[in-house]
Amino acid sequence: MTQQPIIRFDNVSKRYNDDTSVLNNISFEMERGKFYTLLGPSGCGKTTILRLIAGFIEPSSGEIQFNGKKINDTPPNERQVNTVFQDYALFPHLNVFENVAFGLRIKKIKQAEVKRRVEEALQFVNLQGYENREISEMSGGQRQRVAIARAIVNDPEIILLDEPLSALDLKLRTEMQYELRELQQRLGKTFIFVTHDQEEALAMSDEIFVMNAGEIVQSGTPIDIYDEPINRFVADFIGESNIVDGVMIRDHLVRFAGREFECVDAGLDPNEKIEVVIRPEDLEITSPDRGKLVVTVDTQLFRGVHYELSTYDRDGNEWLVHSTRKAQVGDEIGLDFDPEAIHVMRLNESEEDFDRRLESYEVSGHAE
Amino acid sequence: MGKQSNVQKAFLALVFIILYAPIFFLIFYSFNSNGTMSSFDSFTWEHYAAVFEDTRLIMIVFNTVIVALLSALISTAIGVLGALAIVYLKNRKLRSTLLSLNNVLIVSPDVIIGASFLILFTAVGVRLGFASVLISHIAFSVPIVVLMVLPKLLEMSDSLIDAARDLGASGRDVLTRVIIPYIKPGIFAGFFLALTYSLDDFAVTFFVTGNGFSTLSVEIYSMARAGISLTINALSGLIFIVTVGLVLVYYALNRRNRTPVTGVKK
Repeated sequence: MTQQPIIRFDNVSKRYNDDTSVLNNISFEMERGKFYTLLGPSGCGKTTILRLIAGFIEPSSGEIQFNGKKINDTPPNERQVNTVFQDYALFPHLNVFENVAFGLRIKKIKQAEVKRRVEEALQFVNLQGYENREISEMSGGQRQRVAIARAIVNDPEIILLDEPLSALDLKLRTEMQYELRELQQRLGKTFIFVTHDQEEALAMSDEIFVMNAGEIVQSGTPIDIYDEPINRFVADFIGESNIVDGVMIRDHLVRFAGREFECVDAGLDPNEKIEVVIRPEDLEITSPDRGKLVVTVDTQLFRGVHYELSTYDRDGNEWLVHSTRKAQVGDEIGLDFDPEAIHVMRLNESEEDFDRRLESYEVSGHAE
Repeated sequence: MGKQSNVQKAFLALVFIILYAPIFFLIFYSFNSNGTMSSFDSFTWEHYAAVFEDTRLIMIVFNTVIVALLSALISTAIGVLGALAIVYLKNRKLRSTLLSLNNVLIVSPDVIIGASFLILFTAVGVRLGFASVLISHIAFSVPIVVLMVLPKLLEMSDSLIDAARDLGASGRDVLTRVIIPYIKPGIFAGFFLALTYSLDDFAVTFFVTGNGFSTLSVEIYSMARAGISLTINALSGLIFIVTVGLVLVYYALNRRNRTPVTGVKK
């Protein structure tokens, strides 16, 4: 038997002042003990979902369930959910110890236990010895850890993280990604993480919900979402991608950039108009006569790990290439790629249809 | 700003000399044995002794302090609640209206406030004296407290309140454990300002005080009208020193409540 979802949204909508709709009929489930990421551009409604789960706002319609129980009207102080805020929201008049102890003090827990649990929580985030520091004496990264300790000390079922890494510098951010992921695995709690940073989402999540304009566009594991984006928005938002218009001639044969290519996609109507995604790292530089595509190098940037080439084919489509090999600007080069590198996207396909189609041809593909 | 030139320094010095000269002139002659302010004869404490021998005057000082402390305390309580109400009002129009009404009271002349209170008290039938003075002092102090507390409340990030709620705090917990501690510097500032406003108020008190009850400023005014006595100088000197003391206490308290660096709205 599958276990009961810890969070369930059933056709939840949120509108402010009756005119602006922030969330449109959202439904999803979240399982216990997983790391979820709500990913999307600012204003897509991801923070609204977080605030609905925390209880700071109530849905305009629909039902939110926690462990199978409706919690639409439960105030935040009665929910087994704790939040790590974007600005950390640490209490400036309390020191580190008292900040972490805040929730326990409210629950009137005995001093000895408060001390034990606060110290344990601080140890969890590598801040032992900082108990008596003032918040103003802590650096950004340390405040971040205090905020996390303050959330986990209450032993909540779910920890919500609202873009907690956005204020940190790049190096610290990468470090905290590892730490957060490890922390989640050690605690075994459900983490719901909100971010607009696709790298963060890919690196940490068990499952990503990609959101746009108040709707969940696609949900799945980081690999699924990266390799099989449902539409142009997701392909564009997650990672770099080359997106060109094409036509699906028949199963396993697609036409774009003036040529026909073998591919692994199937289950579409013959001659259906589609969009094709090829990731820049799947394109390999070769000589013009051996390439499936012939392009001219327009610009080349050194990115450290690889070169980023902007190239154009004869039809004027831009092809972004990530390669460890260098090319000469102005040269004509060939681009080679595997049939698996081609990902076909149907226009306006719903997530259910998309999943069903993927499943059907993956099964049939294996049977062949 | 770079270094100040000598001209700038001299100008600054001149301004402060002009501002403080009358006070020091007055205090200087409070030590004059002559009894007039025209020439300085020799040093004496006799005018100060006269102040302390005058039991009626001591009683008036006592009245003034009691009125100031009570009105500052009560107006701080009312003012803090008022500021909270203004900030957490959902209706923006009502909110700005209330704020404007509050500010009008601060800029309106004391004479008008005093006169209107006098009319009110006589109409309602309140006996002029301690109660009438206290009530009117509370009335003009509340807007000041509101104005001092409001900026602290406005700079406080809403996420602090969310965080407290999230950690299990009830509405009362949020108020006593988060909001009040956060705005404490504003509350102190409001209290001290209300205290000083009440201590040195003349116009309003002059209107609403009655027979048998007087505060220092009103008393000094009537003494000055009756003829020059260096007792006034001595008394003024004492008040000045107490005021300076209060200012120092205020700054000491302010310094201890270091300005917070987190939880501030962006």
